[in-house]
Parts: sequence; structure tokens; C-alpha cells
Amino acid sequence: MISCTEFIPAYNELFAFIEERHGRQELIRFWEELADEFLYNLRDLVAEKGLAGMHEYWTHTLTEEGADQTMTLSEDEFRIEMHKCPSVGILKQSKHITPFPDYCEHCKVLYARVIEPFGFRCEVQVHDVGRCTLRVTKR
Amino acid sequence: MANVHKDFHGCLSFGLKFLAENYGPAEVEAYLRQVARNVYAPLIRRLRRQGLPALAVHWRRIMTLEDADFRLYADDDVLILEVRECPAISHMKTHSYEIAPNFCESTRIVNDEICRRAGYSASTEYDQALGRCTQRFWRAE
Repeated sequence: MISCTEFIPAYNELFAFIEERHGRQELIRFWEELADEFLYNLRDLVAEKGLAGMHEYWTHTLTEEGADQTMTLSEDEFRIEMHKCPSVGILKQSKHITPFPDYCEHCKVLYARVIEPFGFRCEVQVHDVGRCTLRVTKR
Repeated sequence: MANVHKDFHGCLSFGLKFLAENYGPAEVEAYLRQVARNVYAPLIRRLRRQGLPALAVHWRRIMTLEDADFRLYADDDVLILEVRECPAISHMKTHSYEIAPNFCESTRIVNDEICRRAGYSASTEYDQALGRCTQRFWRAE
């Protein structure tokens, strides 16, 4: 069993593997299918509770992942300021791993694809390695 | 203490299913052998230098972190890991994640590659439906 504590390096290898052997378009297709078929727990929460559902989803996942972040929720905006992304942190700390150069791109594809059909605009801005802002606003 | 986010098992399962359905079993195996070589490079080194105790430390740590029901013991020169309730399968069942048909096969392939690289052998017998497996490790002849 690949432990969930070893998942991030295995995920990083998966991105590199698909792009190297099957091309960037296939990697994007993987991310899109992951959003469509795997992230239904986020989709269900957004459908039911909107911005509050996003807050609930990421409160659970980012707590379990041990993220250093600040989350804010208002009537018309949900925002995550990621100070230290736990996934990027694992890749940086693992000296034997070569981080996939566009590792952070998957968040942009995945979350916009799940959230935007519900009438929101979802932007992920990567500021630096391991630091980003996810901002969701009502259209 | 490592952070434990078990939904990652579901995400890995989805990745294995994607590879199998789109590119076939040979690509799944190529990916898993790459994971074994790269992600587990430090474990391969420790196994080569320290022998089976290195693998025992690895599995005890992982299985404890994942809160697995398991038994780890040595029988003569064979290290045996009996997983009575796989934490990954159990979590995916509980949360209704689709379990890829090749999910447990990933354990066999990764174990095989890690051991081969370190001069050891491994066997993995599993019952994916029940979430049980027995893994054996020994020095290669």
C-alpha cells in the first residue's frame, strides 16, 4: 500500500509520468476527469451551501493536511491565503524527489472546473513556491 | 508526526483507474515501478544496507499512522506483514470512493520493485474485496 502520507510524491510522479509519456493535453485531461469524477464531495458542498460549502470542504482537508493558511468567508467571497502549502512543502523537503515544474497548475484546473458551473469565479494565483491565493467570488 | 489525510487513497485509486482505462496495464505497471524507484529511493537504500529490519520499521510506522489492523512478524528469514483490515480500502468503502480494480495490485508491483532494487524478493497475496493481504519479504538468492 502506498500510504496516504506518501501520496503527494506519488501524485507528483503521476503528473510527470503522464506528461512525459502522453503529453500535456493528456495531463490536463486527467485533471479534468479528476475534477469531474473524484471531487464530488466538494461539488456536493458547493451545490448545497455555496461559499460556505467551500469553507467547510477546505477546513476539513487543509486541517488534515496540516496547512499553514488563512481562510476567510464573507457573503460574496471565499478566500484561502496559503502561506505554506503542505504538498509543496513535502516535495521541497524530499531531496530525492524531483518536483514536477507545474505541480501547482492542477489546483487551477481542478477547482475552477468544480466551482465555476455554480455561478462563481474561481482564481488561483501562485505567488511563490508553496504560497498562493485561491479566491472565489460570485459572478 | 505526519499528517494523515486518507482521502488521498481515493485520489490515487482514481489515478490508477485513469491509467488503466486510457493506456492499459503496462502503463500502470511502468508508473508504479517509477514510484517505487523514485518515491521509495531512501527505503531501497536502507533495505540494501540494513536488511529486513529497515522494511519492518517502514511498515510498522505506516500501518500505525494509518491505524491499520495488522500483524508484522519474522518467520525464519522472512518478514511477514498480515493486513487484516486495509486502511485504504476501508476508508474508500466508508466514503464511497470508487476502488480501482487494480488497487491492491499496486502494492504487489511497488513491493516487487523496491525489493528487486535492494536485492530482496517479495510476494503479495491479497483479497481486495475483503481488504486483506499478506506480504512476505526475504533476501533474494
